[in-house]
Amino acid sequence: MAERAIFIRGLGGYYAEVAETPPELGPLVKETLGAQVRRIGRFVQLALIGAARSLVGQTPPQDTGVYLTSGRGDMEMTIDVMNQLYRDGQPPRPLSFINTVSNSACFYIAKQFGLRGRSAFVCNSHFSFEAALYLAMLDMEAGVTSSALVGSVDIALAPLDVHRRRLRLAPDTPVAEGSHWLWLQPGDASQPGPRVTSMEMLADGDALRQWMQAHAGDGAIVAIGQCAIADEVTAIAAGVGVTRSFDYRDGRAYYDSQSGDAAAAFLSRRPEGATTLLHVNCDAEGRFAVFAVKAG
Amino acid sequence: MTPAQSETWFTGAGLVSALGAGVAETLAALRRPPGAPRDLTVPLGAGVESIPFLGRDSAVDEDPTQRLFRMAEAAAREAISAAGLTPAQLRTTALLVGTSSLDISITEDAFARDLQSGDAHPLMTNSSMGHLGRVMAKHLGVGGVDLTINTACTASANALVYGEQLVRSGRASHALVLGIELFNRTTALGFKGLDLFSPHGMRPFDKDRRGIVLGEACAAVVIGPTRPNDNAFRLAGSANLCDTHGISAANPDGSTVAAVINQALDLAGVASRDVRAVKSHGTASLLNDEAEAAGLKRVFGDAMPTICALKPFIGHTFGACGLTELVMMCAAASEGFVPGTPGISPAPGDLGIGITQAPTPVGRGAFLLNYFGFGGNNTALVVSNG
Repeated sequence: MAERAIFIRGLGGYYAEVAETPPELGPLVKETLGAQVRRIGRFVQLALIGAARSLVGQTPPQDTGVYLTSGRGDMEMTIDVMNQLYRDGQPPRPLSFINTVSNSACFYIAKQFGLRGRSAFVCNSHFSFEAALYLAMLDMEAGVTSSALVGSVDIALAPLDVHRRRLRLAPDTPVAEGSHWLWLQPGDASQPGPRVTSMEMLADGDALRQWMQAHAGDGAIVAIGQCAIADEVTAIAAGVGVTRSFDYRDGRAYYDSQSGDAAAAFLSRRPEGATTLLHVNCDAEGRFAVFAVKAG
Repeated sequence: MTPAQSETWFTGAGLVSALGAGVAETLAALRRPPGAPRDLTVPLGAGVESIPFLGRDSAVDEDPTQRLFRMAEAAAREAISAAGLTPAQLRTTALLVGTSSLDISITEDAFARDLQSGDAHPLMTNSSMGHLGRVMAKHLGVGGVDLTINTACTASANALVYGEQLVRSGRASHALVLGIELFNRTTALGFKGLDLFSPHGMRPFDKDRRGIVLGEACAAVVIGPTRPNDNAFRLAGSANLCDTHGISAANPDGSTVAAVINQALDLAGVASRDVRAVKSHGTASLLNDEAEAAGLKRVFGDAMPTICALKPFIGHTFGACGLTELVMMCAAASEGFVPGTPGISPAPGDLGIGITQAPTPVGRGAFLLNYFGFGGNNTALVVSNG
């Protein structure tokens, strides 16, 4: 049997720094999808915009699974419900309460694009996007999913000073919203096309060194995830001969799941001679989440 | 490269629910009829709301942080002890948490306190969705990856599926899977707002079904590569599919329910005629019972196996129900019986489903467990001790 690879069939998303008040997204939803979607909040709007941009008019198979993550989830709905309960002394409005369920965004995406496959919302304190990619890759490896739409969504809410306090950011930290998506599909590895060649959760620096060694090569370039310590990762990379780095987060305002944009940034702004992106993120316990993207 | 595939088994379990603390207490209670729910008085504004409740003591009174970690850790440590996991093994164990409400009870408490002082905003103590999993991993000494699955009422069933995949693929030596859902006002009053609480207990598939009773539970299962005994269960197959009929109810024609059950049976290599018993989702709501009944009829036709419902014992434990009801079902089936709920749907009624009325003898083999959640999230598990 031919060797299989996980191809990137589509990718895209949304990123915008928020200066004062997050912009209305309804018009952009209508422009992106060609129609309004009623009774949805900001989180679902951003999920739909990002997912649609990754598909750019393509139709994924019906059994495509949706794998969604977020650092903080749909804070707008949760805050709304808690204000109803504690400030207003009223039970939550039914639709607000139902939409506090994180996977309601998966539902709207599945409904919009006619999908009937797996539906997962997963989170991790440092590796949100990597967690979603991890589950999708596990499912494709196990053969239970033949196509996966993997995304991360992070919203910002006014007033921004409160938003920054909520995210434990310094008062003047620039903040942003992001929705980043990959459409992945297994296929014959001998065919051309960009692909995800690895996604692993690693216990420590030794495991990272081994992983780097296995994926090092002439065209390898390393990207530092937002929670990783750059000096540590670049030293390990240099130790196995990977000396070039790719800073896709340069100048970017803060939001949680920036790893979600690494593949798109690499494939659209690939430095000369770079063929494989090695993305490394780290958590407070010294564990690593890594993935590799190879240009077609 | 695809990692080596190994067999997996459930090697330990733990449970805290309305039925008691520990699997042994739970098992004893499952031989008896379910107890009646009590009315829980929940403050709301200047008044109170009365919520039908099957849960532990001190739901409203105890500090929510202490309560959450006390109960979640009790279930986890029971499972770890039963599995005999050493501290060294825990360092290579993955943690999968399935929950719908995460640690919202702690957030609610903080917001209520902040409101007394003026400048108050929700979600200021913690807004990270991965926080609970990270803290649980640290408390328990679990060193592998921690992942929190947040898919409403299927959350811990889906967490079990991914935990099993991590062990089977060799990415983790073991998986500790937790289902955590404890009393919180958002859930209690959210369902009150939906008018889904039943005034007379949960009566799945019954002509007098009126909805749910609020439950709470913490459940834990350890998955490992070594069969602990001849009677041990394993996850033989599973499926999770998105049902886009509606955000709060499965398609009433049963097509999507049948699809997820059939896919799980196919992956398990189990024919429908070989299913020993079905643990229904059985929320006793008008629409969901209709969809589940129609789905079961599509799969099993006239050859319906033994069907039981476990929510009358413990209420609806939402994100924890996947693991809670799995632990209950496996514990009972290991002892050779399927729990019964006397007086509830004693014969096929308008939905054509009758459920077990008393503890019913059952042999070893394959068991089907159904779960359906908000957001169109449908999951079926096939477990086997055959």
